[in-house]
Amino acid sequence: MTTAPIQAGPTSGEWDAPAGAGAAGAPGRGPLLFLIGSALVWLVVSGVFALIASIQLHTPGFLSDCPILTHGRVRVLQETAFVYGWLGTAGPALAVWILGRLSGSPLRGTSWLGVGAAFWNAGLALGLVGIAIGDGTGTALFGLPAYVHPVMLASYAAIAIAGVLAWTGRRRGPMFAAQWYAAAALFLFPWLFSAADIMLVLAPVRGVLQAVVAGWFAQGLWTLWMAPLALAGAYYVVPRLTGKTLPNYDAASLGFWCLVFVGGWTGGRHLIGGPVPAWISTLAVVTTAMLVFHYVVVALNLRPALGAGSVLRFIAFGVGSYVLGGFVDAVTAARSVAVSTQFTTFDQAQQQLALYGGVSMLLYGTLYFAIPRIAGRAWSSADLLRGHFALAATGIALLVVSLGAAGLSQGRDLADPSVSFAAMATHMQVWLLVATGAQAILLLGNLLLAVNFLETAVLKPGSGEGVAS
Amino acid sequence: MSSPSQPDPRFEKAKLGDDELLVAHEKALGPKPDERARYRLAPLMMLFAMAGVILFAATYLNRYSGRFDRSVYDETALPNAGGAAEAKVDPAVAGKRLFGTPGACVTCHQATGEGIPGVYPPLAGSEWATGSEERVIRIVLFGLKGPVRVRGTDFPGTAAMPAFGASGFAWSDEKIAAVLTYVRQEWGNKAAAVTPQQVHKIRQSVGERKEWTQDELLTVK
Repeated sequence: MTTAPIQAGPTSGEWDAPAGAGAAGAPGRGPLLFLIGSALVWLVVSGVFALIASIQLHTPGFLSDCPILTHGRVRVLQETAFVYGWLGTAGPALAVWILGRLSGSPLRGTSWLGVGAAFWNAGLALGLVGIAIGDGTGTALFGLPAYVHPVMLASYAAIAIAGVLAWTGRRRGPMFAAQWYAAAALFLFPWLFSAADIMLVLAPVRGVLQAVVAGWFAQGLWTLWMAPLALAGAYYVVPRLTGKTLPNYDAASLGFWCLVFVGGWTGGRHLIGGPVPAWISTLAVVTTAMLVFHYVVVALNLRPALGAGSVLRFIAFGVGSYVLGGFVDAVTAARSVAVSTQFTTFDQAQQQLALYGGVSMLLYGTLYFAIPRIAGRAWSSADLLRGHFALAATGIALLVVSLGAAGLSQGRDLADPSVSFAAMATHMQVWLLVATGAQAILLLGNLLLAVNFLETAVLKPGSGEGVAS
Repeated sequence: MSSPSQPDPRFEKAKLGDDELLVAHEKALGPKPDERARYRLAPLMMLFAMAGVILFAATYLNRYSGRFDRSVYDETALPNAGGAAEAKVDPAVAGKRLFGTPGACVTCHQATGEGIPGVYPPLAGSEWATGSEERVIRIVLFGLKGPVRVRGTDFPGTAAMPAFGASGFAWSDEKIAAVLTYVRQEWGNKAAAVTPQQVHKIRQSVGERKEWTQDELLTVK
């Protein structure tokens, strides 16, 4: 480790890459750090809600007298803060940053980025208050009250402008995989969100069609928005840190198009056995199986992440979870399996594996790579970083295993009419206690990340902490 | 804590610059020198894997899609084959419901089938209702106007019977057959059931017309 004060100048190496997001005062630095910082605040907030919701599953009386914190609302608060606050704030910020770096020019449209960041956070805060007082829409991953939807859409567009400008104004014509995924994610969210807004809120479709649209949106938000955001980061960081071209890179475009074309059709697997025409579920079973091809390509491309390095360890864990999650989805989409895993906590285990183990871990890795280059300063503590990895990996493994085991027990009990509801709850009790422990560990780990970020990017310790190149 | 070979996690140096990354991967997509004249295994295996997945998808879709019919809810059924079979309706039950429809039969002929003396003729024991299907179907399809003699009593024809086959009710052949079957077998009436085919035949042969009179009907056998 060399210690030299950072010089904001053309010779300070790594900091001043062409994107210009490195040197102090470079365009985009303030808004990007604000977006990522607020994402970390939402991450911690959602962790607190997750802990409350998890405790309520085995101790139903906990906070049940407080209408704002009843289980139904806390679950939605946790989900919304996690998906829109953490993944949906850090993800686009990192996507914009990556598009900027690969464009070969400094970021443009950064004042839009700042305005968008402010309104996105304001809309989200208002939305969370709305959910707490009972204004949520009641649709999975779409819990934000109807009155903040326009704010979220408009502010998202403002954030995305910088990314789109960097993408269209790139110096080199041919694009790299990280650019495909980042640009696709920036464009796909407004489509998903506005379509769901029209069909579920503004002019609601009737009857079972609502369930079909809700299933399409929830799955699409994950497959077509969160997953591409996370993959953009992974595809960018892995070759930069390993210094090698990605293996089997010629298959990467097939993996990308497979996700984009097939991913949107997989929502119907949540409706298996439901009152919808059979072909909707059948098509989802088939497309979930076809999506395995995408996961294989991602695993092949990103396998160098298994190499040494603390940052790459996050990415390797994330890729592993992402690919494993894809295979588990394909298996549980099969009708014979779905009958016993659906509507149990096994569904939640799959969601946590995908959103926490997959998307979040990939974003952590990208974040640890990006922050020193955005802030122009090395992380203030290596131990906090290592501690975060240990806690996050343990917490995710415990959470997924415990929810999965509880779900299998629940599924078996639900299929047996002689098992009473109380007995079912007793069988799950132990696993749900483990899940609460896992949520506490995850919250602690995320606090380490938040503290590290605070010390690095906000508190600005004295010079001599910077590392030039 | 970190060994000398491990990069410092506080700031891991990138081994590839942004521009180098773009150039290297652009090159990776270009044609490769075929120095040893050998197939590359990975693309070939991926091709087979993709073909396998598509084969599975097509087979599964063919077997469990219910031909993409919106009325098939059971993936193992085909449209109009078992899973989507039409339910059979008991004409006596359907006829009773139709008879009781507000504004229809029950309004004048009453639930007892006795009508109202001097105004609405009875159906119970009526020679018209239990007589020739040809006449009774015509009455329900197109209505009846003017004086009529039922069970030996003359009704002056102050009230006309509306048409149920056309405008207004526009009952189908099945509905008219059902309500007539009910009328002909209720209140002690014991006439044969009426089939939708009989109704259909008369509806086709008569075409459009106004209400019948007693004299016109008596010419029908």
